[in-house]
Amino acid sequence: MYKGIAASRGIGIGSIVLIVEHELKYDNKKIEDTAAEKQRFEAAIEKFKTETKEMADDIRKRIGPKEAEILEGHLFMISDPTMSGEMSKMIDAGQCAESAVEAVCDMFYGMFSKMDDEMMRQRASDIADIKVSLLKILLGIEDIDISKVPKGTVLVAKDLTPSMTSQIVKENVAGIITEIGGKTSHSAILARALEIPAVLSVPNITELVKDKDSAIIDGTEGDVYINPDGDILSQYVIKREEFIRKQAELDKFKGKETVTADGTKVELFCNIGTPKDAKKAVECDGEGIGLFRSEFLFMDNNHLPTEEEQFAAYKEAVETMNGKDVIIRTLDIGGDKDIPYLEMKKEDNPFLGYRAVRYCLGNKDKYTIQLRAIMRASAFGKVKIMVPLVTCVDEIRSVKAMVEEIKKDFDSNNIDYDKNIEVGCMIETPSASLIADMLAEESDFFSIGTNDLTQYTMSVDRGNADVAYLYSTFQPSVLRSIKHIIECGVKAGIPVGMCGEAAADPLMIPLLISFGLTEYSVNPVLVLTARCIISKWSKAEADELAAKVLSLKTESEIVAALKAAAKD
Amino acid sequence: MVSQKVTVTNEQGMHMRPASVMSQKMTTFTSDVKIVFNGNTYDCKSVMMLMSACIKCGAEIEIQCDGPDEAEALKAAVEMVESGLGD
Repeated sequence: MYKGIAASRGIGIGSIVLIVEHELKYDNKKIEDTAAEKQRFEAAIEKFKTETKEMADDIRKRIGPKEAEILEGHLFMISDPTMSGEMSKMIDAGQCAESAVEAVCDMFYGMFSKMDDEMMRQRASDIADIKVSLLKILLGIEDIDISKVPKGTVLVAKDLTPSMTSQIVKENVAGIITEIGGKTSHSAILARALEIPAVLSVPNITELVKDKDSAIIDGTEGDVYINPDGDILSQYVIKREEFIRKQAELDKFKGKETVTADGTKVELFCNIGTPKDAKKAVECDGEGIGLFRSEFLFMDNNHLPTEEEQFAAYKEAVETMNGKDVIIRTLDIGGDKDIPYLEMKKEDNPFLGYRAVRYCLGNKDKYTIQLRAIMRASAFGKVKIMVPLVTCVDEIRSVKAMVEEIKKDFDSNNIDYDKNIEVGCMIETPSASLIADMLAEESDFFSIGTNDLTQYTMSVDRGNADVAYLYSTFQPSVLRSIKHIIECGVKAGIPVGMCGEAAADPLMIPLLISFGLTEYSVNPVLVLTARCIISKWSKAEADELAAKVLSLKTESEIVAALKAAAKD
Repeated sequence: MVSQKVTVTNEQGMHMRPASVMSQKMTTFTSDVKIVFNGNTYDCKSVMMLMSACIKCGAEIEIQCDGPDEAEALKAAVEMVESGLGD
């Protein structure tokens, strides 16, 4: 088995067509008849334009206008007077067409690849693609016509250029394997748009296979098998059926509300780490943002982000969500997350030390900047402030007092914000759980962070392999704690969410339904899966299972009971 | 020659699409159209040159037009930039 990057989900089984890279060699000699060479060059440019335009039109029809833009960009670039004009000048001076193309493309490639702007750097790969296409035309090299490969083909290539991907006929290509390219490369984006399983960046794969080898590719896990034996093949045939069946089932939940089997509506939100992830949440059908980790702004930076920088980031996410809830967790640093420029002291017990809300309340000047930025963003949608690592009532009161101060300042300076902005606690410590009834009276909402709650309740360092066996959210103590927190919130009439990994766990969901959780916040890719599982459980069934599970004394019995009851 | 300063307002700056829209429009004028940014001068009729300037949102640029239809060219260029370059 070979491993690569899982770039497009699904299982593909088929026969390999290897796309061989031609060496683009030419004789770099001085040209005497420059007029004839110029004609040859101009004919190549015309051919390139015609072919590229055909491909762009085809992609626009088959896939979409956004995907066609890459190729339309190639047309703009080659039509540019500086591009073809420079090439022409070199040919006039006696260079051959191939070397003129190469020199000018390399010059622009160098220029774009050095820019400090991600979008502009991507143009460099477009230039490289243009160069290769033009050289192939000039050298008379014909590529394999990917549009004509037979049904059940697994394409293997060093890299798929946009021009290659554009020829793919979805029905005939069972999978894609490449040697280079990542999750966000052109090939990955197109593979996902076409729903073709793809594994990218498999080392040396083009040298390990030949045409007509059989191959299995698992685009969900990033696994590739070449010439697999019968056992593996039959396993994957079953896996493929299973994937297709599940996908069809999940697709039925797109655009639907999240409701239990007996009709109780709950909220299904997403966890995100950057403003751009909000787009993903929308694409994946998330109903809001249940956890926007604000650390990225601080970690990917060499200075404390200013109020304006933070405001821009929060506003971007809020505007993307277009009026839906966006719960922003204020700075959660310390513990295992260090930020050099904050110059935090080294601690013997960082997880029990100066972190999260403790650090923020000890550095109110810095915290004020963040709270102001969040509150200004609240003018553009529905923003909530979530305070991490609360252990006592004083902490939430202090944060709320700061929020009130900022409101006064905003009012006197006519700065827009949501006057009813909610402030809630992240419940992730045993202390917060034990006083959840008190905290509920002081909070607008709760969100349970299961990762830290499990770690602190079990007194287990997740990173320590010797004790990791104790780290389970299904330990009776952790389950009791979760139940208690939810019940306290529900009793006080505030929403209770969960933003840890447990919220999307098929085994945990029936218990959460029984306990009365009102908001589930999950990784965007798990939205439909969670919605599907929630739809299968009624309160009565979940209560029955929960009663049984809570009477069990060990984690292994609990997991076994939940697995036995799981609905697939 | 006529010239005017203007601020780029579209979110992603002078990337592929805005640059091509801009250069195509400017090609319809006889005058030379140039952009001065960060002390360098770029040919506004060339999509490659426009992109190579790496002009981002919020940047102030100066547009210079020189030729028989310079006033019209400048007016069109400024309007395009101010209206967000079709983004």
